[in-house]
Amino acid sequence: MTSTDDESSFEDPGEALRLIEREQANTMRHVTPDPRLMYWPWGLTWLISFGLSFLRFGPDGKTFVDMPDWLPLLALTGLLIAAGIFTGIVGARASRHISGPSSRQGAAYGISWSAGFTSLAIIFGRVGEHVPDEMLGLLWGGGMVALVGVLYMAGSAIWDVRDMFVLGAWISVVNVIGVLWGPGWHALVLAVAGGGGLLAAGLIGWMRRR
Amino acid sequence: MSTDLPELDPVIHAQARLRVVAALSQLPGGDRITFPRLQEILRMTAGNLSVHLRKLEEAGYVEVTKTHRGRTPATLVHLTQRGRFAFEEYVSALRTLIDPGEEPS
Repeated sequence: MTSTDDESSFEDPGEALRLIEREQANTMRHVTPDPRLMYWPWGLTWLISFGLSFLRFGPDGKTFVDMPDWLPLLALTGLLIAAGIFTGIVGARASRHISGPSSRQGAAYGISWSAGFTSLAIIFGRVGEHVPDEMLGLLWGGGMVALVGVLYMAGSAIWDVRDMFVLGAWISVVNVIGVLWGPGWHALVLAVAGGGGLLAAGLIGWMRRR
Repeated sequence: MSTDLPELDPVIHAQARLRVVAALSQLPGGDRITFPRLQEILRMTAGNLSVHLRKLEEAGYVEVTKTHRGRTPATLVHLTQRGRFAFEEYVSALRTLIDPGEEPS
Protein backbone atom coordinates (compact mmCIF):
# COMPACT_ATOMS: atom_id res chain seq x y z
CA MET A 1 0.00 0.00 0.00
CA THR A 2 1.25 3.45 -0.87
CA SER A 3 1.88 6.06 1.77
CA THR A 4 -1.14 8.26 2.29
CA ASP A 5 -0.22 10.41 5.25
CA ASP A 6 1.58 13.13 3.34
CA GLU A 7 1.29 15.50 0.44
CA SER A 8 3.35 13.29 -1.86
CA SER A 9 2.44 13.76 -5.49
CA PHE A 10 3.64 12.08 -8.65
CA GLU A 11 6.51 12.56 -11.01
CA ASP A 12 4.80 10.44 -13.60
CA PRO A 13 1.23 11.25 -14.77
CA GLY A 14 0.81 7.60 -15.74
CA GLU A 15 1.32 6.64 -12.12
CA ALA A 16 -1.51 8.99 -11.12
CA LEU A 17 -3.82 7.45 -13.73
CA ARG A 18 -3.03 3.95 -12.48
CA LEU A 19 -3.73 5.03 -8.91
CA ILE A 20 -7.11 6.43 -10.03
CA GLU A 21 -8.01 3.20 -11.82
CA ARG A 22 -6.99 1.07 -8.82
CA GLU A 23 -8.96 3.20 -6.41
CA GLN A 24 -12.06 3.29 -8.62
CA ALA A 25 -12.01 -0.48 -9.11
CA ASN A 26 -11.51 -1.00 -5.38
CA THR A 27 -14.47 1.29 -4.61
CA MET A 28 -16.72 -0.53 -7.07
CA ARG A 29 -15.83 -3.86 -5.44
CA HIS A 30 -16.91 -2.39 -2.12
CA VAL A 31 -20.14 -0.65 -3.09
CA THR A 32 -21.57 -3.12 -5.60
CA PRO A 33 -22.39 -6.69 -4.58
CA ASP A 34 -20.35 -9.60 -5.92
CA PRO A 35 -22.29 -10.82 -9.00
CA ARG A 36 -21.60 -14.45 -8.05
CA LEU A 37 -23.37 -13.97 -4.73
CA MET A 38 -26.29 -12.19 -6.43
CA TYR A 39 -26.91 -14.67 -9.28
CA TRP A 40 -25.66 -18.08 -8.19
CA PRO A 41 -28.25 -18.64 -5.43
CA TRP A 42 -31.02 -18.09 -8.03
CA GLY A 43 -29.25 -20.23 -10.62
CA LEU A 44 -28.94 -23.12 -8.17
CA THR A 45 -32.54 -22.69 -7.08
CA TRP A 46 -33.77 -23.01 -10.67
CA LEU A 47 -31.40 -25.84 -11.53
CA ILE A 48 -32.40 -27.92 -8.50
CA SER A 49 -36.12 -27.22 -8.20
CA PHE A 50 -37.07 -27.16 -11.89
CA GLY A 51 -34.80 -30.16 -12.34
CA LEU A 52 -36.73 -32.04 -9.64
CA SER A 53 -39.98 -30.94 -11.24
CA PHE A 54 -38.88 -32.32 -14.64
CA LEU A 55 -37.81 -35.63 -13.08
CA ARG A 56 -41.08 -36.03 -11.18
CA PHE A 57 -43.53 -34.47 -13.66
CA GLY A 58 -41.91 -35.22 -17.00
CA PRO A 59 -43.40 -34.73 -20.48
CA ASP A 60 -46.64 -36.67 -21.17
CA GLY A 61 -47.04 -37.42 -17.47
CA LYS A 62 -43.89 -39.55 -17.29
CA THR A 63 -42.13 -39.94 -13.96
CA PHE A 64 -38.38 -40.37 -14.41
CA VAL A 65 -37.54 -40.50 -10.72
CA ASP A 66 -40.07 -41.63 -8.16
CA MET A 67 -40.35 -39.09 -5.37
CA PRO A 68 -43.21 -37.61 -3.34
CA ASP A 69 -45.27 -35.29 -5.56
CA TRP A 70 -44.94 -32.42 -3.08
CA LEU A 71 -41.13 -32.46 -3.10
CA PRO A 72 -40.41 -30.27 -6.20
CA LEU A 73 -42.75 -27.51 -5.04
CA LEU A 74 -41.43 -27.65 -1.49
CA ALA A 75 -37.85 -27.45 -2.79
CA LEU A 76 -38.78 -24.50 -5.02
CA THR A 77 -40.50 -22.57 -2.24
CA GLY A 78 -37.76 -23.24 0.31
CA LEU A 79 -34.90 -22.41 -2.06
CA LEU A 80 -36.63 -19.25 -3.36
CA ILE A 81 -37.06 -17.94 0.18
CA ALA A 82 -33.44 -18.79 1.07
CA ALA A 83 -32.11 -17.16 -2.11
CA GLY A 84 -34.27 -14.08 -1.55
CA ILE A 85 -33.02 -13.60 2.01
CA PHE A 86 -29.40 -14.29 1.05
CA THR A 87 -29.26 -11.92 -1.93
CA GLY A 88 -31.20 -9.30 0.05
CA ILE A 89 -28.53 -9.35 2.76
CA VAL A 90 -25.65 -9.29 0.25
CA GLY A 91 -27.22 -6.37 -1.65
CA ALA A 92 -27.94 -4.40 1.51
CA ARG A 93 -24.40 -4.95 2.80
CA ALA A 94 -22.90 -3.47 -0.37
CA SER A 95 -24.98 -0.31 -0.16
CA ARG A 96 -24.81 0.14 3.61
CA HIS A 97 -23.89 3.60 4.90
CA ILE A 98 -24.60 5.12 1.50
CA SER A 99 -27.71 7.23 1.11
CA GLY A 100 -29.22 9.14 -1.76
CA PRO A 101 -30.80 8.46 -5.13
CA SER A 102 -29.16 5.04 -5.61
CA SER A 103 -30.61 3.57 -2.42
CA ARG A 104 -34.06 4.85 -3.39
CA GLN A 105 -33.65 3.22 -6.82
CA GLY A 106 -32.62 -0.03 -5.14
CA ALA A 107 -35.59 0.08 -2.77
CA ALA A 108 -38.08 0.80 -5.57
CA TYR A 109 -36.63 -2.07 -7.60
CA GLY A 110 -36.77 -4.48 -4.66
CA ILE A 111 -40.37 -3.55 -3.91
CA SER A 112 -41.25 -4.08 -7.60
CA TRP A 113 -40.10 -7.71 -7.33
CA SER A 114 -42.18 -8.35 -4.21
CA ALA A 115 -45.23 -6.57 -5.61
CA GLY A 116 -45.03 -8.48 -8.91
CA PHE A 117 -44.67 -11.89 -7.26
CA THR A 118 -47.44 -11.21 -4.76
CA SER A 119 -49.87 -10.10 -7.49
CA LEU A 120 -49.12 -13.12 -9.66
CA ALA A 121 -49.35 -15.54 -6.72
CA ILE A 122 -52.81 -14.22 -5.89
CA ILE A 123 -53.97 -14.32 -9.53
CA PHE A 124 -52.57 -17.82 -10.19
CA GLY A 125 -53.92 -19.13 -6.89
CA ARG A 126 -57.38 -17.93 -7.86
CA VAL A 127 -57.29 -19.01 -11.52
CA GLY A 128 -55.43 -22.23 -10.74
CA GLU A 129 -58.55 -23.78 -9.19
CA HIS A 130 -59.98 -24.04 -12.70
CA VAL A 131 -56.83 -25.13 -14.52
CA PRO A 132 -56.11 -28.83 -15.17
CA ASP A 133 -53.35 -30.21 -12.95
CA GLU A 134 -50.89 -30.83 -15.77
CA MET A 135 -51.08 -27.15 -16.79
CA LEU A 136 -50.54 -25.75 -13.28
CA GLY A 137 -46.75 -25.97 -13.62
CA LEU A 138 -46.86 -23.97 -16.86
CA LEU A 139 -49.11 -21.33 -15.33
CA TRP A 140 -47.01 -20.81 -12.20
CA GLY A 141 -43.57 -21.47 -13.64
CA GLY A 142 -44.19 -19.70 -16.95
CA GLY A 143 -45.87 -16.67 -15.35
CA MET A 144 -43.33 -16.14 -12.57
CA VAL A 145 -40.35 -16.62 -14.87
CA ALA A 146 -41.83 -14.16 -17.39
CA LEU A 147 -41.86 -11.61 -14.56
CA VAL A 148 -38.23 -12.41 -13.66
CA GLY A 149 -37.12 -11.87 -17.27
CA VAL A 150 -38.90 -8.53 -17.53
CA LEU A 151 -37.57 -7.30 -14.18
CA TYR A 152 -33.98 -8.11 -15.16
CA MET A 153 -34.45 -6.19 -18.41
CA ALA A 154 -35.97 -3.26 -16.50
CA GLY A 155 -33.05 -3.43 -14.03
CA SER A 156 -30.64 -2.86 -16.89
CA ALA A 157 -32.58 0.31 -17.71
CA ILE A 158 -32.02 1.57 -14.14
CA TRP A 159 -28.33 0.74 -13.74
CA ASP A 160 -27.32 0.79 -17.38
CA VAL A 161 -25.89 -2.73 -17.19
CA ARG A 162 -26.01 -4.43 -20.57
CA ASP A 163 -25.36 -7.94 -19.22
CA MET A 164 -28.49 -7.69 -17.09
CA PHE A 165 -30.56 -6.93 -20.18
CA VAL A 166 -29.07 -9.89 -22.02
CA LEU A 167 -29.87 -12.15 -19.05
CA GLY A 168 -33.47 -10.89 -18.87
CA ALA A 169 -33.99 -11.29 -22.60
CA TRP A 170 -32.49 -14.81 -22.51
CA ILE A 171 -34.76 -15.85 -19.65
CA SER A 172 -37.81 -14.39 -21.43
CA VAL A 173 -37.03 -16.21 -24.67
CA VAL A 174 -36.26 -19.64 -23.16
CA ASN A 175 -39.35 -19.35 -20.95
CA VAL A 176 -41.63 -18.79 -23.95
CA ILE A 177 -39.96 -21.64 -25.84
CA GLY A 178 -40.50 -23.93 -22.84
CA VAL A 179 -44.15 -22.92 -22.47
CA LEU A 180 -44.82 -23.59 -26.16
CA TRP A 181 -42.98 -26.91 -25.92
CA GLY A 182 -45.34 -27.99 -23.16
CA PRO A 183 -45.51 -29.28 -19.59
CA GLY A 184 -42.42 -31.18 -18.42
CA TRP A 185 -40.22 -29.78 -21.17
CA HIS A 186 -40.78 -26.31 -19.74
CA ALA A 187 -39.25 -27.39 -16.42
CA LEU A 188 -36.27 -28.92 -18.22
CA VAL A 189 -35.66 -25.75 -20.23
CA LEU A 190 -35.86 -23.57 -17.10
CA ALA A 191 -33.52 -25.85 -15.14
CA VAL A 192 -30.84 -26.07 -17.83
CA ALA A 193 -31.09 -22.86 -19.88
CA GLY A 194 -32.62 -20.63 -17.17
CA GLY A 195 -30.55 -21.87 -14.23
CA GLY A 196 -27.50 -22.13 -16.46
CA GLY A 197 -28.06 -18.55 -17.69
CA LEU A 198 -28.14 -17.25 -14.13
CA LEU A 199 -24.97 -19.16 -13.21
CA ALA A 200 -23.25 -17.82 -16.33
CA ALA A 201 -24.38 -14.25 -15.54
CA GLY A 202 -22.76 -14.49 -12.09
CA LEU A 203 -19.54 -15.83 -13.55
CA ILE A 204 -19.33 -13.25 -16.36
CA GLY A 205 -20.13 -10.37 -14.00
CA TRP A 206 -17.45 -11.53 -11.58
CA MET A 207 -14.82 -11.91 -14.31
CA ARG A 208 -15.57 -8.43 -15.66
CA ARG A 209 -14.87 -6.72 -12.36
CA ARG A 210 -11.71 -8.55 -11.42
CA MET B 1 7.97 23.08 -19.42
CA SER B 2 6.20 24.62 -22.37
CA THR B 3 3.26 26.87 -21.61
CA ASP B 4 0.65 24.82 -23.46
CA LEU B 5 0.97 21.89 -21.07
CA PRO B 6 -1.93 21.88 -18.61
CA GLU B 7 -1.48 22.73 -14.94
CA LEU B 8 -2.43 20.00 -12.49
CA ASP B 9 -4.90 21.03 -9.80
CA PRO B 10 -2.77 21.07 -6.61
CA VAL B 11 -5.77 20.20 -4.43
CA ILE B 12 -6.23 16.88 -6.24
CA HIS B 13 -2.61 16.28 -7.20
CA ALA B 14 -1.62 14.63 -3.91
CA GLN B 15 -1.77 10.87 -3.39
CA ALA B 16 -4.19 10.79 -0.50
CA ARG B 17 -6.65 13.34 -1.87
CA LEU B 18 -6.54 11.83 -5.32
CA ARG B 19 -7.55 8.50 -3.79
CA VAL B 20 -10.41 10.15 -1.88
CA VAL B 21 -11.73 11.94 -4.99
CA ALA B 22 -11.31 8.87 -7.23
CA ALA B 23 -13.29 6.74 -4.76
CA LEU B 24 -16.05 9.34 -4.35
CA SER B 25 -16.32 9.76 -8.13
CA GLN B 26 -17.59 6.17 -8.35
CA LEU B 27 -20.72 6.94 -6.35
CA PRO B 28 -23.68 8.17 -8.39
CA GLY B 29 -24.09 11.97 -8.19
CA GLY B 30 -26.17 12.94 -5.17
CA ASP B 31 -25.22 9.86 -3.14
CA ARG B 32 -23.66 10.42 0.25
CA ILE B 33 -21.41 7.99 2.09
CA THR B 34 -20.73 7.86 5.80
CA PHE B 35 -17.28 8.76 7.06
CA PRO B 36 -16.48 5.30 8.55
CA ARG B 37 -17.53 3.50 5.35
CA LEU B 38 -15.37 5.80 3.23
CA GLN B 39 -12.51 5.20 5.66
CA GLU B 40 -12.97 1.44 5.31
CA ILE B 41 -12.95 1.61 1.49
CA LEU B 42 -9.87 3.83 1.42
CA ARG B 43 -8.05 2.03 4.24
CA MET B 44 -7.03 5.37 5.83
CA THR B 45 -6.88 6.40 9.45
CA ALA B 46 -9.69 8.66 10.66
CA GLY B 47 -7.29 11.52 11.40
CA ASN B 48 -5.65 11.29 8.02
CA LEU B 49 -8.95 11.17 6.14
CA SER B 50 -10.31 14.14 8.14
CA VAL B 51 -7.31 16.29 7.25
CA HIS B 52 -7.66 15.62 3.54
CA LEU B 53 -11.44 15.95 3.53
CA ARG B 54 -11.06 19.36 5.16
CA LYS B 55 -8.75 20.50 2.37
CA LEU B 56 -11.14 19.20 -0.25
CA GLU B 57 -14.02 20.87 1.53
CA GLU B 58 -12.17 24.22 1.61
CA ALA B 59 -11.78 23.97 -2.15
CA GLY B 60 -15.51 23.26 -2.48
CA TYR B 61 -14.86 19.80 -3.93
CA VAL B 62 -16.58 17.77 -1.25
CA GLU B 63 -19.43 18.52 1.09
CA VAL B 64 -19.34 17.12 4.61
CA THR B 65 -22.65 17.12 6.47
CA LYS B 66 -23.35 16.10 10.04
CA THR B 67 -26.64 14.39 10.65
CA HIS B 68 -28.30 11.87 12.93
CA ARG B 69 -29.27 8.32 12.08
CA GLY B 70 -31.68 7.52 14.83
CA ARG B 71 -29.74 8.62 17.91
CA THR B 72 -26.24 8.12 16.56
CA PRO B 73 -24.56 11.07 14.90
CA ALA B 74 -23.34 10.41 11.37
CA THR B 75 -21.00 12.30 9.11
CA LEU B 76 -21.89 12.11 5.43
CA VAL B 77 -19.52 12.90 2.60
CA HIS B 78 -20.22 13.61 -1.04
CA LEU B 79 -18.42 14.91 -4.09
CA THR B 80 -19.89 18.25 -5.22
CA GLN B 81 -20.57 19.10 -8.86
CA ARG B 82 -17.52 21.31 -8.69
CA GLY B 83 -15.41 18.47 -7.29
CA ARG B 84 -16.59 16.07 -9.97
CA PHE B 85 -15.77 18.62 -12.66
CA ALA B 86 -12.33 19.32 -11.14
CA PHE B 87 -11.60 15.59 -11.09
CA GLU B 88 -12.58 15.22 -14.76
CA GLU B 89 -10.38 18.18 -15.66
CA TYR B 90 -7.52 16.65 -13.68
CA VAL B 91 -7.83 13.31 -15.47
CA SER B 92 -7.92 14.97 -18.87
CA ALA B 93 -4.88 17.09 -17.92
CA LEU B 94 -3.01 13.89 -16.99
CA ARG B 95 -3.87 12.38 -20.35
CA THR B 96 -2.61 15.49 -22.14
CA LEU B 97 0.64 15.29 -20.18
CA ILE B 98 1.11 11.68 -21.23
CA ASP B 99 0.25 12.37 -24.84
CA PRO B 100 0.54 16.12 -25.57
CA GLY B 101 -0.56 15.57 -29.17
CA GLU B 102 -3.99 14.54 -28.03
CA GLU B 103 -6.46 17.35 -27.37
CA PRO B 104 -8.06 17.12 -23.93
CA SER B 105 -11.62 15.92 -24.30
